[in-house]
This record gives sequence, C-alpha cells and structure tokens, in this order.
Amino acid sequence: MTPVATGVRQTSGPARRLPAGLRLTRLFLASRRVLTCLLILVACAITLRVALQWLPRTGTLSRQIPLTVEAAAAAAIGVTTRSPFGDTERAAGRWLPLLRLAAVVVTTGAALGLLATGAASRHLAGGILDLLRDLGGFAGIALLAAAVVGSGLAWAGPLGYLVVAISAIEGNWTTPWVWPARPPHDHGAAICAVVVFAAGVVVHTLRPARSSARE
Amino acid sequence: MTAATVPAAQARAWHLPRPARLLRLELRRNLMPWLLPLFAALFWLATYRPAMAAPPLWDTRGTMLQAQTMLAFAPLLAGAAAWAGSREGRRGTGDLVDVTGLPRWAGRLAAWAAVTCWAEAVYLAGVAVVYGITAHQATWGGPLWWPIYVGAATAAAACAVGFAAGALTPSRFTAPLAAVVVFLALGAGAFALQHGARPTYSQIWPLNAQGAFPPDAIGIFYPYLPDLAIAQLMFVGGLGTVALGALGLPAVSGGRWLRSIAAAVTVAGLAAAGTAVGLAGTARLETHGIVIPALHDAASDRPVAYTPVCSAGAIPVCLHPAFRGFLPDVTAAVTPVLHELAGLPGAPVRVTQVAVTTVAQAPSNGANLGPPILSGHPAVLYLPLSDVSLPGPGTPTTAFIGELRDELPPLLNSFVGLKVLNQPGSGGIIAGPSSPGAPAQIAVAMALAQDAGLLNPFPVPGNQPRHGNGSAQGPQATGAQAQAAAQAQAGAASRFAALPAATRHAWLLTHLSALRAGDITLSEIP
Amino acid sequence: MNIEITDLTRRFGRTWAVAGVSLESGPGVVGLLGPNGAGKTSLLRMLATVIPPTSGKLRLLGSDPGGYGPRRQIRRRLGYLPQNLGYYPSFTVAEFVEYFALLKEMPAARVPAAVAAAIERVDLSDKARSKLRTLSGGMLRRVGIAQSIVNDPDLLLLDEPTAGLDPEQRVAFRALLRDLGQQATVVVSTHLVEDVGAACTGVALMDAGKIVFQGTPDELTGRGVGIDAVGDAPLERGYTAVLSAARAEPARETAQ
Repeated sequence: MTPVATGVRQTSGPARRLPAGLRLTRLFLASRRVLTCLLILVACAITLRVALQWLPRTGTLSRQIPLTVEAAAAAAIGVTTRSPFGDTERAAGRWLPLLRLAAVVVTTGAALGLLATGAASRHLAGGILDLLRDLGGFAGIALLAAAVVGSGLAWAGPLGYLVVAISAIEGNWTTPWVWPARPPHDHGAAICAVVVFAAGVVVHTLRPARSSARE
Repeated sequence: MTAATVPAAQARAWHLPRPARLLRLELRRNLMPWLLPLFAALFWLATYRPAMAAPPLWDTRGTMLQAQTMLAFAPLLAGAAAWAGSREGRRGTGDLVDVTGLPRWAGRLAAWAAVTCWAEAVYLAGVAVVYGITAHQATWGGPLWWPIYVGAATAAAACAVGFAAGALTPSRFTAPLAAVVVFLALGAGAFALQHGARPTYSQIWPLNAQGAFPPDAIGIFYPYLPDLAIAQLMFVGGLGTVALGALGLPAVSGGRWLRSIAAAVTVAGLAAAGTAVGLAGTARLETHGIVIPALHDAASDRPVAYTPVCSAGAIPVCLHPAFRGFLPDVTAAVTPVLHELAGLPGAPVRVTQVAVTTVAQAPSNGANLGPPILSGHPAVLYLPLSDVSLPGPGTPTTAFIGELRDELPPLLNSFVGLKVLNQPGSGGIIAGPSSPGAPAQIAVAMALAQDAGLLNPFPVPGNQPRHGNGSAQGPQATGAQAQAAAQAQAGAASRFAALPAATRHAWLLTHLSALRAGDITLSEIP
Repeated sequence: MNIEITDLTRRFGRTWAVAGVSLESGPGVVGLLGPNGAGKTSLLRMLATVIPPTSGKLRLLGSDPGGYGPRRQIRRRLGYLPQNLGYYPSFTVAEFVEYFALLKEMPAARVPAAVAAAIERVDLSDKARSKLRTLSGGMLRRVGIAQSIVNDPDLLLLDEPTAGLDPEQRVAFRALLRDLGQQATVVVSTHLVEDVGAACTGVALMDAGKIVFQGTPDELTGRGVGIDAVGDAPLERGYTAVLSAARAEPARETAQ
C-alpha cells in the first residue's frame, strides 16, 4: 500500500455536512433498511384505505382486515431491527442503544401516522384510537419477538398474535391482554397494549435483537 | 491436514438414494420444529377449543379442520417457507450451490419438500388429535377425509407460494410479506364469498367447506359430496404448481429443457387453477350439499342407510343415530306441540329428523332452510335440526330446546289451514286469497302456540297479517281496523287457550275440518 | 489440459475486471498472485462457472462450459472455495460437507465415506458433529476446503484458502495441496507468496486484469535477483519486481 503523503482532501465544505450525530443516525437507519420499511408502511396504508372502501361496516371482516394490515406493519418494524454487522457493531460503541431507540421511534411513529392517514375519513371499526392501540401493541410484540427468537423471525410474533386476536373477536373474549377484541373505551386493554409496547421498546433499546441461526 | 488417502469405509449393503439423503438433511435442519410451539398454541386456540365446544359430529369437526385450522396455519406456513426459501440469499451460499451439478430447481424442490413435510406433520397431528377424540365421542359415522385433503393441499400450496417468494426475492421483508399476503388473500376470499356479485366463483375459496350447507348435516343423511372439494384441490394444487414451476424458470435453475419443463408446469398449474374457478362457477346448493355438475357422481345422491333411534311414547321422535345424544332434548322440545295435536285429524304419528326440508342459496353465502314440514298420510313431522344450535359445552340445553321450539309455530299455522309465506313473527304474509275464516285460523294457531309454550306466530299487535302472493288481493285493513281485528283475534286466542285441554281438544276434533276450510269465524271459537 | 483459456475477458459495467488472460494448465498446483483488484477472484469465478466470460475462449476439463450439459458435467468434477464462504450456522460440519457432496451428484453409496475422508483430510474429525456456528474462523475455512474436495475433483479452485489458518495448519494445507496436485489441476488464489513457493508448481501473477508473469516460483524469484526490489523474501522481491516492471511499461509506452 502506498503511504499517503498528503492530508486527506475534504470532499465537501464543513457548511454542507450534517452534524455527526445525524450522519450516524442516517447511516444506522440505512443499515436497517428503514427506507424499505417506510415504503412497506406506505403500502400498508394504501391497502388499508382501499380495503376500508369495500369492507362492510360490521362483522368479522370489518375487524380482521384492518388488524391484518396493522400486524403487517408491526412485522415490518420487527424485521427492521436486524443488524447486518454482527459483532463488529456490537463492539463498536455506546451510541447503539440510542440509535436502536431512534429506529423504533421512526418506524413506529411512521406506521402510526401512515395508517391513521390511510384510515382518515373512512369508516374504521373501532376508530383511530383503536388502530393506534392495536398497532402499538403489535409493534411491542414484534420487538419482544425479535429479542427472543431473532429479528429475522420477529414477524411470527405479531402474525401469531393476529390469529389469537381474530379468535378472541369471534369468541367475545374479555381479557384485556387481547386488546384487539376489546372496545376502544376499554382502559384495561389500552394499558396492556401500552405496557407491551413499552416493554418491547425497552428490551430492544437495551439489548440488541438476536440474529437468527435457525435454518 | 492429512495428505495421505484415507481407506474407504466398508460399503454398506443398503444406501439411501441421493434425493432421500438430501431430503433427510433438509428435514433435520429446518426452521419448522422451532415454530412447533406456536403452531400448537394456534391449533389449540383456533381449532381444538371450538371443536370440543361443538357437538361431537364428524362433519362439524371435519369442516373446522379445513377452515379454521388453515386460517391460522396457512399464513404462518407461507412465512416460514419464505424464510426457508431465502436461505441462500441470506447466508451468501448462492455461488457455492450454483456451481454444483444438481440443477438448482431440484435442490430447491428438496428444500420446499422438507418444509412441506413438517407442515403436513403438524397439520395431521392436529387432525389426529381432534379425530381421535371425536372417535370416542361420536355416536355414528366415521371421519370425513375430503376436508382433510383440502386442508393438507392448502398447507402445501401455502408452503410453495411462500418458498417461491423467498427463493426468488430473498430479503428480510419477504417472509412477513408472504404471510400477510396469504392472510389478506384468505380475507379477500371470504369477502368475495359474502359480498361478491358472483358468489358461485368464490365458492372455490379453500376455507369454504360445502358452502352455505349446514355443517352438521354434511355427510350424514347423504354421502359427503366431494364436488367442491375436488375443485378446491385443483385450485390450490394449481396455485402450488405455479409457484413451484416458477422456481425452475430462472436461468440458474437448470438447462433449457429443464426450464421448458418448468414453464410447462407453470402453465399447467395456471390452467388447473383457472379450470377449478370455472367449475366452481357452476356450483349450486342442493338439499344434500354443493353440486358441481361436471364433477358430480350420481351415486352420491343416494341417501345413506341408517337405523334411526326413537323415543318411546305414543308419538315416537326418531333421530339419526349421529344425533342420538340429543334425543331427550328434541323430545322435550316437540312434546308440547305433539300433545296439542295428538288424536286430531292430520296429527303426526311420528316425528322424523331430516337433513333439510328445503334449501335455497341466500345472500352472503347463506342458505334459507325450510322449516319443519307436516306431510304424508298418515302425517309425519319432518324435523330438520340444521337451523338450530345443537347443545354442547358452548350451548346450553335450554337454548337448544328454545331454538327448536321457535321453529315450530309455522307447523301450527299449516295444521289449522293457514299458508304463511313469511315467518309470522315479522308480520307474516298469508298466502292465498283473503277468507272470512282466516282470523279464526290465526286465533286458533295463536292459542295452540300459547298453550304449548311457543312463540306467538303473530306477535305484533295491530299488525293485521296481510294477504297476497302476487295474485290474490285481499282487503288490506287500515290502522284502526287492523288494531281492532288484531285485538279480536288475540281475545279469541286467549279464550281458546284458557279452555281445559280436553275441551279444546274435543272442539278441534269436531271443528277442525271446517276451520281448515275457512268456515269458522272468530265468534264461533269457544 | 484441464484449463485452456485464450484471451478471456470479463466486464462489470465499465470496468474490465479481466482484460485478456490466456492460460493453460494440466495437473499440478498453480498459484494465482496479484494485488487487490487485479482480477484474481473474477478469473476464479469464471473458472468455477459461476459467471460467464464477456469474451474469449474457455475450456475446462476438455469441454466448453457454455452449454448447460457440458457445464453440468464439469461441475460434477469441480471443487470451489470462494473468498467469502457462506454457510448454514445450524448445520454440523458433517452435514455441511454431505450437503455439497449430494449437490455435486456424487453416487449415494460413496457419500458417507467421501464425507468422512474429506473431514479427516482437513483435520476436523473431532468436530464432525459440531455445529458450524460454534467453530472459529479458521475451522470454518477448513470446512470450506473439505466441501471443495469431497468429490475428489479434477479441477480445484481455491480463493484465499489459508485465510485464518494458523501456521501449523498452513503447513499441513500446503502438503494437502501438493498431494491433490498430483492428480488434479489446483488453482490457488492467495496473497501469501510463501504458500505459492511451498506448494505450487506454477505461478501466474495478475495485475489490472492481465497476467503479467507466468512461470515457476523459481523463475519468479529470479526476476527479483540483482534488482533493488521491495520485499522480505526472495519470492516477494520477485513479485514486486514483476509488478513494478509491468506498471512501468504502460508509462514508458505513454511517454513514447
């Protein structure tokens, strides 16, 4: 290798460079394919909007399809936690927990905003608050699943819970731990969803998602 | 590292052939065993619990194993298969496997087969549990296998679709997207079935077992009609074949001939699926199930022979042996009505269960089932149980008896000579021209229902039953007149119901013919 | 001849990774040397039939790999270890090697013995049942070598095979190479000139997509004698001398 005789030339002036923290965040989000996740969330919002146009106002389908879209959004958030770097990153530095928290905030916030926009001025069984509650809970399950079984399989958490939720709706369950089956004004269900979401965020922030070794 | 050659191991007398060895490797190192707890939990929730809450009938539980199990399993199987299919992309072994001699299509089919074997093992284990328990509980018949065939084929097709998606687009998002797309496709199928303009085509939806035909009447009085199941097998088989054929299309999958075969396989799958949808479009609902003319076997139209189980009593109640356990409850439900009619001309000498009396397709994949019918000489009450919720852990006996009794008021209407087009509970329309005798017939029907503890056949006060069946136009009473007429009828009914049973019976014995002919007026009712 | 290449090129976009290479080799061990970006891996991938050449003539084991049938026949007699070895963490060593033995369409009866022999040749018999995710980097590399030799290939292509191996293992690996080279054509792409010197009967030095030297290790060593070349060993000095000369020639042509 040829020794570098001269100093490294700046490719752009200091005025045009983002602060280091933002650059790091941008690179971290790019490594997690957050942009692809956002595109998927947009597709979820469009699907929800189109579905609400055709769905009946009552009945199982009026709940099942929106819940499926919410679970899909949560699954996308879950698999976005996967790191392509492995040990190299884990040994790197102290900013990772904050970066993981930032990624979760960006993706979950985008999911909430996009799906709420998709459902705006359409009849959504349960309403927007229901959607926010359910989506938050699904996202929490996805984050917890990533911590347990690995980020590659994190999607199994929200999608498995979706089946539980559909069964609960058909069976008129009353437990608040299956919040999609509860009415929007059920405070217990909202608390459970918030607790699960908070637990998922805390676990994911403090502990990186496992990479799946399952083949 | 050893440079010297190692002496070859002694040859064994028998070796697994290469495809079997490859499959064995893939089976051993598969994702599916790790998902077993999740599948077990979902099976318990989505199928086992509802199945055990339902009456122990082979048809009810068999259709659950097709519909509810696959609703829970198929999306997750698609996701797991997509994960398995994306293995080479995720692990960076693409170059390594591409330079081997075995065509990639063959290697990928082996990996898909492993996932599918696990999926079928999980599904069939669940079937074994439910059917094993049902074998101890059921009082007649045996397992229905056509719903299981469709369920198993749906599982294989879900694995094929997911695997192809993962192999062709290996990405971290492919597995969840495959699962969600399958979920939404199943939901879209349900929507099309319930709300579509052409619901017959959407009968092909693989979670739809025998359409709107009551699940507790399938394969009991008549053989299970496999017409729809055959079409569904063609459909899901075609979809799975398309997915597997698509795996063989990329250039890396093999030589020109192999890829031509893959293309032919794909086209064949599309043709099969399309043909199945077309066949489903010709489906019609008959009294013993869904019939698709091109697939129908006339032998299925012959009723299944059975020896009914009957109650002791003057008027025996006879049920199909599959419903043996419900005989006391059915007897308790119909006895008050039989008591009212016993000994009268045209009274039933026997009550016999039938599957359905009439059936007609209704919107939202529903079926209009005919009520109990009194016919024949001597008269027999033909009683279907398909429109009521059978008693079980989820439905108390009192609810079953109540629902059954709610089916019986039209019987009393026809017994006294009334022909009602609609259920009178909503203001029935009486068929035929208005006659002076109709108010008396109505009053007697109300009285008999009241004494038997049934629903009032004409409960809406002031709602004079209207006449008409398109041709006959009777005088339609206006508001005050209708009120007065209804009150007069109700008064006559109360008077008649208040009579001692023997007196009432004696009057009916002598006046029933005239009542049926419409020659009795309200004032002539004691 | 197991390898016959004439004016082989490979382009990626506007970059000529291989810009006209001619090479012939029969049984023996050929070392492929060169700096980063010289085109060694691209050449090796073409020899492994992973990617097709852009132009030129390529014959492997007497056949043209352009057709599917001949290519499949070649792959049955080929062993390849890429620079970045992908693997399945939950497979055991034996399963991983067996998997590739089956993909290489070895007769089923021969597979168990061949797998055991390959694992023993790379000294991993005691790790045969260990999962790949429990192995160190060097052991994983040896597993990669095992899968490449399981079918007793006539053409063996190894890209950086000694990466991660300890010195003792490298010595053993060189002995293995010499042994394999008696029957087969082995092409080893490496940065370690001492591997080439110890194991190879021939060496080709690539730079900027072309072969700038082809001969024996001794001949390469001789190119560094009497010249003030950079290097700590004779072969290294020959290597740098050849590279310097190759890079000086275009400059001289440009100047002229």
